[in-house]
Amino acid sequence: MTNTRSRLPATFLILLGLSCVGVLITDFWPFLQKGLAGQVMFSPDETDFDQILFHYSILPRLAMAFLCGAGLALAGAAIQTVLRNPLASPTTLGVGAGVEFALTIFLLIAPASMALFQEAFALAGGMIALGAVYLIASKRGNATLWLILAGMIVNLLLQSGSQIVLLFNEQYLQSIFMWGAGDLAQNGWEATEFVLPRVIIGMIAVLALSRPLDLLALGDETASSLGAKVTTLRLLILGFAVFITASVISAAGMIGFVGLAVPAALRIAGLTRSRDLMICSVVTGGFVLVLIDFIVRQFNGLGGDVLPTGAATALFGAPFIILILRKARIMPGTQSEDQHSDQEIISKTRLTVILGVTLVAGIFVSLFVSLDGNGLVFLGWNADSLDILLGRSERSFAAMICGAALAVSGTLIQRVGRNPLASPEITGVSSATALAMIIALAIFGFGQRAELMMIGAAGGIISLFVLLILCRKFTHAPHYMLLNGLALTAILGAMVRIVLTRSGTQTSMLMSWLAGTTYFTNMDEVLIVAGVTAVLLVVAIALRRPLELASLGTDQSVSLGLGITGFQFAMMLLAAILAASATLLVGPLSFVGLMAPHLARVAGYRLAGGHLLGAVLIGVNVMMVAEWLARNMIYPAQLPTGLIAALIGTGYFLILAVRKR
Amino acid sequence: MKTIRAAFRYLVLCVGLVAVNGTYAKADPIRIEHERGILELPAPAKRVATINWSFTETVIELGLSPVAVADPQDYADWVAEPKLPDGFVDLGQRSSPNLEALRAAKPDLIITIPDIGMSYEKLSEIAPVLELKLFDEKRPAFEAARDVFAKIAKATGREAEGQAYLAHVDAKLAEYGERIRMALGPDQKLNVIYFFDESTIGIFGGTSLPGSVMAAMNVPMGFTGEVNKWGFARGGLELIAPYAEGSVVYTNPVPDAILEKMFASPMWKFMAFTRNNRVYELPVVWMYGGVPSSLRFARLLTESIENGPHR
Repeated sequence: MTNTRSRLPATFLILLGLSCVGVLITDFWPFLQKGLAGQVMFSPDETDFDQILFHYSILPRLAMAFLCGAGLALAGAAIQTVLRNPLASPTTLGVGAGVEFALTIFLLIAPASMALFQEAFALAGGMIALGAVYLIASKRGNATLWLILAGMIVNLLLQSGSQIVLLFNEQYLQSIFMWGAGDLAQNGWEATEFVLPRVIIGMIAVLALSRPLDLLALGDETASSLGAKVTTLRLLILGFAVFITASVISAAGMIGFVGLAVPAALRIAGLTRSRDLMICSVVTGGFVLVLIDFIVRQFNGLGGDVLPTGAATALFGAPFIILILRKARIMPGTQSEDQHSDQEIISKTRLTVILGVTLVAGIFVSLFVSLDGNGLVFLGWNADSLDILLGRSERSFAAMICGAALAVSGTLIQRVGRNPLASPEITGVSSATALAMIIALAIFGFGQRAELMMIGAAGGIISLFVLLILCRKFTHAPHYMLLNGLALTAILGAMVRIVLTRSGTQTSMLMSWLAGTTYFTNMDEVLIVAGVTAVLLVVAIALRRPLELASLGTDQSVSLGLGITGFQFAMMLLAAILAASATLLVGPLSFVGLMAPHLARVAGYRLAGGHLLGAVLIGVNVMMVAEWLARNMIYPAQLPTGLIAALIGTGYFLILAVRKR
Repeated sequence: MKTIRAAFRYLVLCVGLVAVNGTYAKADPIRIEHERGILELPAPAKRVATINWSFTETVIELGLSPVAVADPQDYADWVAEPKLPDGFVDLGQRSSPNLEALRAAKPDLIITIPDIGMSYEKLSEIAPVLELKLFDEKRPAFEAARDVFAKIAKATGREAEGQAYLAHVDAKLAEYGERIRMALGPDQKLNVIYFFDESTIGIFGGTSLPGSVMAAMNVPMGFTGEVNKWGFARGGLELIAPYAEGSVVYTNPVPDAILEKMFASPMWKFMAFTRNNRVYELPVVWMYGGVPSSLRFARLLTESIENGPHR
């Protein structure tokens, strides 16, 4: 603690501390003037509403903000140290989403007599999500990046899962949405009393374990040679970190980014010893959330509604990731390791034959076979048959075209980005498209699909340029592009939440579209997107030679001075246009753009041309199956196709992970 | 695909024309103004499909059994009355009614809301669609509900019944208003609130359904603040503090756990309405409903206030 860098965290902390004192003074001011500060804190005058309000609403809110911020920042610091990953945190690794999903299900489905198990349920949700993320990413060449990307997959999946549960319980939408967006409003000290002991227990446990943590930070080999039982220790610390997160989220809802940004920023500022980092994280995290919540409180009541703190925190926090990325030095792993780390789970020829057969059979089934709640129904011939067939083909073809577009998009991004886990969702293009459409619909009142689609397309393209500007001058631009995309996705996600809490009666339509539904598509749109996809696929295949060079990292194309070449830029643009078109058609989520190119490559489609075609074949099949399931599984209600596809995609990566063991 | 569809349409049109020509000399078509211009129906609708609960309750109240209903299970929990008749087709979620199930129900009129306006064209391929706006920030909800009621009555050829029902509603509202004012005492203002969770409440404003029904009953409402797009204001208990001298009625359904925590909270206990024992409980009423829900709200509010404060 003697070098000059260590002054930075101290300065940082003092500044934050002073700001918080400012917040306290502002909040206390009316009482300080009358010399009632002590009274209002400990024994408010029960006949004065201002004192009651302060003592039972504002004061506990301040306490909760500090506790939640401190707890989440500590959990983040612990997770980051244990996993040796500067971008790990309760939110980025899916813990938050896991807890949220578990609680949403619990609150809606579990009978009141089960209330005692709520905490265990939330904890299990968080642990399972973290376990899944770890499983997907483990034994990979570039674990740092894989972990974050796997976290993103699990996050998106669980979030859409929560949204589906809500879609089927529309009446509770408003309440649970508030909680899901992280509302710190207090009505007494009860929540504080719930969180305080839990956060303290978690803190003591984590801090007690933090000495061996410094050994962990040196790497598994060093730590085990020093005699620490690495695995047990890691699991224990992770367990307590999840425990803190689950307690905070149970009481206050989703509050993102404190757990990521605070410890990461402190580390960049020069705190490297885990014990220092953790102690500082506790204090800094608390201060930061108090400050953010203070700002949020000033906007409460605007438009007759509250502004949820959690979503606002994500807005504040996500730009931080971009800053952190500039410092964090996440080195891309050695290419060969990434490229060949997955064993062939199926051979190219067999896959092609199977996919060809399922495609033909699938189209037939999609059109003629359905479930109606009693069993399988074959479409007979009557006056309505033609219309029913048209309706089904509209939806099935929309899904399939979307699968093809995303497959091409994903293949291009994975090849140019030299990253087998890159996908259109992760670059933020899909989220930007969705956000533009949602804002146009919910705030500006555009109701026509054609208008919305134009606006959405513009949003997607703009986001790509933002991404390129953010990534300029990085030597490993493709990797940074992905991580910046992650930050962008997070910002957009937070904005989507805020818009949705304020969007009034259209919320449920927006939500089903967000999860990816073919319900609203029509044949004209399908044909347009099919045309765009076909043309761009042909272009990509024609460019297969330079594409191969680009994915080997040996291309000699002229650099744009952006850290990426003109060719890479062009390919990314193609990928963005495809992803935006697919999003316009069925919404932003599906993971087909991630899974299809990955499976195609693992199956042995190594050359660019074959890779593209193989991915398209897989993408079309997956979306076709997902669409049929979505339409028929719980007839007459319909699930969003994107959710089913995302489930298939997550299942695929879990299978891969298990096969690797 | 488009040409097949166009050809099919044409065919249907030709057959239809021949059929119509054969049995000509019918009455004038029914014309109803809706969100998409003017809907013309050749004859009163007999087989009505309803995508929204307010339409469902309105159709039932007009003495017709809807042939297809969205979200019928939740209807029982949130709208409660009028009860759903037997033998309708379940359409699944209100946000995406199942088109194949809808087609199988063979409706001759589909009533939907602009909130799922993106599906208008698809619905139109099945039967004539009446798209009616239920809630509009600028307009009192009860007024909009009356309009909707009158339009549905017209579409189903029950204008006389519809007018009689609306007149009955007006008379009842006047009577209930009188009774509430009697029971509450002079100058007592009333607020209708909803518990989101143990620290967040919603207060219905003047344009909401309860607000506008109370206005029609001539029962004074306390709250005058800014409201969101649903017609209520949301926030902590401090929202209602300025109106705490009045009476408060809270809506159902609310989970018991939330009620217990809310009533145990110091801020709730401090409020003048709690100390003056002026808190009433309202049984389940659909607060975003139509005229039948409005009448139900007025009746249950009256009974609840006449029965005295809760607990």
